[in-house]
Amino acid sequence: MTDFSYKEPILTLRDISMQFGGEVILRDISLDVLNVVRPGLSQGQVVGFYGRSGIGKSVLCRIIAGLLPPTTGTVLVADPARPVCPGDVGFVQQRYPLFDHRTLLDNLLVAAGRKHAPAEAKARVEDFLTRFDLAQHRRKYPAQLSGGQRQRAAIAQQLLCSEHLIILDEPFSGLDIAMIDEVKKIILEVTALDELNTVVIVSHDLATTTALSDTLWLLGPERDAAGQCLAGATISKQHQYNLAQMGLAWQPGIQARPEFVQLIEHLKDEIRKT
Amino acid sequence: MIKDLFVPNAKPRPSVFLTMVACQVLFLLLLWLFYPLQLFPSLGEVVASFKELVTTQGLIQELWASLTTALGALGIATVLALLISYLTALPFFRPIAYAASKMRYLTLTGLTFFMALMLSSGHQVKLSVLVFGATVYLVTGMTSVILTTTQEEMDHARTLGMSEWRSFYEVVVLGKLDEMLEVVRQNFAIIWTMITLVETLYQSEGGIGLLLYKQNRYLHLAGVVAIQIVILATGALQDYLFAFLRRMFFPYSELRAAK
Repeated sequence: MTDFSYKEPILTLRDISMQFGGEVILRDISLDVLNVVRPGLSQGQVVGFYGRSGIGKSVLCRIIAGLLPPTTGTVLVADPARPVCPGDVGFVQQRYPLFDHRTLLDNLLVAAGRKHAPAEAKARVEDFLTRFDLAQHRRKYPAQLSGGQRQRAAIAQQLLCSEHLIILDEPFSGLDIAMIDEVKKIILEVTALDELNTVVIVSHDLATTTALSDTLWLLGPERDAAGQCLAGATISKQHQYNLAQMGLAWQPGIQARPEFVQLIEHLKDEIRKT
Repeated sequence: MIKDLFVPNAKPRPSVFLTMVACQVLFLLLLWLFYPLQLFPSLGEVVASFKELVTTQGLIQELWASLTTALGALGIATVLALLISYLTALPFFRPIAYAASKMRYLTLTGLTFFMALMLSSGHQVKLSVLVFGATVYLVTGMTSVILTTTQEEMDHARTLGMSEWRSFYEVVVLGKLDEMLEVVRQNFAIIWTMITLVETLYQSEGGIGLLLYKQNRYLHLAGVVAIQIVILATGALQDYLFAFLRRMFFPYSELRAAK
């Protein structure tokens, strides 16, 4: 098993519950994402986030991103930990929103300018344009970019002004094999940018996402002793999977291993049950 | 190909499309020239009337007078409507925008009478009626544009750490300026409808509306048609100018449109 240890928390959710008009959507969600340290490596981590459609994944993402205050509970980010504010956590929504009235360069500059002085912002944007292979498209408007370029631009924009956390909502949805490989490469590049960078991937593509992940969360309803579903979805302890401890993280070709295939089947069963 | 002209959503070559438009216009002119309706003046009569209107009744000067009044009213109305529409971000001001939008149902005659009681000069009455009439229509269109703002758009700005005001400015003000210009273009026609009526009520400053009223009064149908064609052509030119401004200042706007 690969050597690793855990340090300070990067993201903490404490007793998160959410109700809309008296209807319980989320219930008692508590979890931590800790800085995982691997000797000789400076690498962030990936969290896979699953759940059936309409179960409340987007609501939880908006809560984590500080866009929606939970009915109860707190989300803490950074070190030392403090309550999340909008802008702390990057959130790349499914359609990769950018400002359509700004060129790609302006889109990145307006994001970098939120956090850095103009000269530094410009330097960081230039660096990101190169890293994300977008330099030749800097003068284009978002409507002129391809799907992949738009996705890279949206991720770069969020990274330029957020702390180390970024949520990607359905990054593999509707993509062909080549594009999925490209997105996987981008995610790994993002985690390689900084030891604390953490990417939360909300996805229905279990195999692709699990292969990239260090940790998995499965959102679903819990059942009481009588087998009745409790109101509201949660991420219970048994639905928080530490792939590093299971020996299923950071290994190339992991998807071919029987343990991995078993885990995917188990996840499918668990999702069906919810 | 000609058959493209009858295929849904087809994109005929520009040359084919322009030829088609030219043929349609020519057909209409020939129809007018050779099969004149009894009540409708012939093409020759309209052309002759147009010449007379230009040389003896100052059609161009009257058109210019109306155009400058219309542009002045549109400028003031646009500023007012933008202000009222943007203020809908604050719940306190939403009833004002709602009320302003509903005021487009007020009749112009009653409004003119009310304005005349409040203001001293004819020009002020004319301008204020036009400004009022255009503002209520513009507010309706502009608030509709603002209401198309999605949660996703606002969330996107917020995730970049922008405050609520900054998010509003970026997404609604800057992001929808091109659509606001389109609302102004569409509603400019309302001013032309109103100006012809208002100029007949306040005749001291002349204008193309008064000229039209005189032609109507003396049953100069050829003159009426000639003036209507001039107004139509001016409107078409305005539309073209607005489209040009949109392309120049908001080049991204066309990129979003379905091709």
